[in-house]
Amino acid sequence: MNSWLRKYQQNGGLVARLAETLLMLGYTLFTFSPLAWVFTMSLKDTATIRNSPYSIPLDPRWANYTDVWFTSNYSQYFINSGYAVGLAIAILIVVGAMAAYAFARMPFRGSEFIFMAIFASIMLPAQVLLIPLFQLLVKYSLINTLTGLALVYVAVQLPMAIYILRSFFAQIPRELAEAARMDGCGEWKIFWKIMMPIATPAISTILIVNFVALWNEFIFAVIFIQDESKRTLPLGVMKFVGDVYEDLGHMAAGLVISIIPVLLLYVFFSEKFIKGMSAGAVKG
Amino acid sequence: MKSVWKNRKRLRAINTAALFLTPALLFYALFIVFPLLQSLVFGFFKVDILGGEATYHFVGLDNYRAVIDDTVFWQAAKNTLVWAITSPFLEIPVGLLLALYLQRGTRLTKFMRVLWFMPVLLPQIVVGIIWAWIYNSEWGALNQILKTIGLESWMRAWLGHPDTALPALIVVTTWTWIGFNMIILLAAVSSIPKDLLEAARLDGATRVQVLRRVIIPLIRPVIANLMILCFIGKMKVFDLIWATTQGGPMWSTETVATYTVKRAFYWNTFEKGYPSAMATTWFVIIMAISLLITRAMQKKDTLEY
Repeated sequence: MNSWLRKYQQNGGLVARLAETLLMLGYTLFTFSPLAWVFTMSLKDTATIRNSPYSIPLDPRWANYTDVWFTSNYSQYFINSGYAVGLAIAILIVVGAMAAYAFARMPFRGSEFIFMAIFASIMLPAQVLLIPLFQLLVKYSLINTLTGLALVYVAVQLPMAIYILRSFFAQIPRELAEAARMDGCGEWKIFWKIMMPIATPAISTILIVNFVALWNEFIFAVIFIQDESKRTLPLGVMKFVGDVYEDLGHMAAGLVISIIPVLLLYVFFSEKFIKGMSAGAVKG
Repeated sequence: MKSVWKNRKRLRAINTAALFLTPALLFYALFIVFPLLQSLVFGFFKVDILGGEATYHFVGLDNYRAVIDDTVFWQAAKNTLVWAITSPFLEIPVGLLLALYLQRGTRLTKFMRVLWFMPVLLPQIVVGIIWAWIYNSEWGALNQILKTIGLESWMRAWLGHPDTALPALIVVTTWTWIGFNMIILLAAVSSIPKDLLEAARLDGATRVQVLRRVIIPLIRPVIANLMILCFIGKMKVFDLIWATTQGGPMWSTETVATYTVKRAFYWNTFEKGYPSAMATTWFVIIMAISLLITRAMQKKDTLEY
């Protein structure tokens, strides 16, 4: 630890330090307790929740989870979200990396301007695009399809992906590509065989940022998807909550099911998540 | 001879660049530029969509005049602005305090850091439903806490009253985003050279002085970035409201995003000119204010770490 901090801690006094720690523990409780509460609710039946909403479920009703899983369409929602998000991210990485590489390594007159124009679109509120996109998707029979939704996702996430990848490609030493060019490699081959493998860290950032953003995405999905069988997870949660309204135990179990996969991933890869998401943001 | 060779080389380079850029430009043109222009144009038309066929009648500025006369739009604009202006002043200072605590690296900090960041990963739909329970008037956690500490007179249906619904929802987005701001600020604070802080301390600066005179000026660009990010994010708030109040009660939590979507897809699903004018107006306002903030904060360089 740095000496100025150590000095502060010595001078700070025990009481101040204790108060500070308590405050921070309080904040931790504030961030965590809503989830903990929902988890306890998910193990009780509705009558118990109404009578004693804050008791600890000593006799946990795990049946809530099996009930929800087998009577709702959660499995379908997971599959749908997985398809839309997976397709979007796959296209995004290929298309975004290609463009980012061109912006980083093949500058031409106006390329900076095009890059800025693309980047500026992160400011666009979704509602400016919703109406025309709706019509566009109708026209090409992509409305109410997960593929159509995925294509929109690619376009919306592209600026950030290009931004992150461009700054990554710009840092790769030029000699690497030069050497390959001497060996007779074309740009296409250099990109796929040399650049993409090197860019793995940046690509994993893109993967994480977009997984979180698109897995939770709501506004485009709620407008473009209408069929029950095509609902993504957030739409499914809304539907489910509407269906079991008043049945708090099952509702809570449904909410927990919907967030468990992301939380589990976070438990195992928390550092990657934190790093990835903050990289995406600061660069923005 | 040489210049021909050079030209040919340059031409080939441009071709390669075009090959790499085309897919991205297609997405950008088709899904961003074209719809954006369409929205701008729609704002000047009465656009009726019946049975998949659209009819257009040029109406000049009528839609924009109607937006200006629309009291609900102004209410929504006011709510959204209140949200977008208060949020940065809640999320960033608290995030900075948390970051300063974590930077000292006690035994608990690693654990706290991971927990504090977590809310960002949850869908706002789920967050909204959970917080609607916390604010529930009969058995919600907030009222229970107030009761326990003897503030029974404060108990109320937090999302059910026009005066408290908007602040209550602002608390929810703050809860979600503080940890995120904290992480970015932590990285910024950690990048400050240690001898600088030590020198300030040795010169007898108090801890608050070090914060005000040394730390904050040094991480100003990061704070500016976060403010813009937070501001733009809140100008677009939609999911949380859709999952909780749906704009009510009495328009008190209506945002421009929710109102536009309602007008475009839920109220009168056939006329698209008016909601387009509304969306365009809001987009221009977001751009203008973002530019103003950037100007005001000037010195905008990005943080690398």
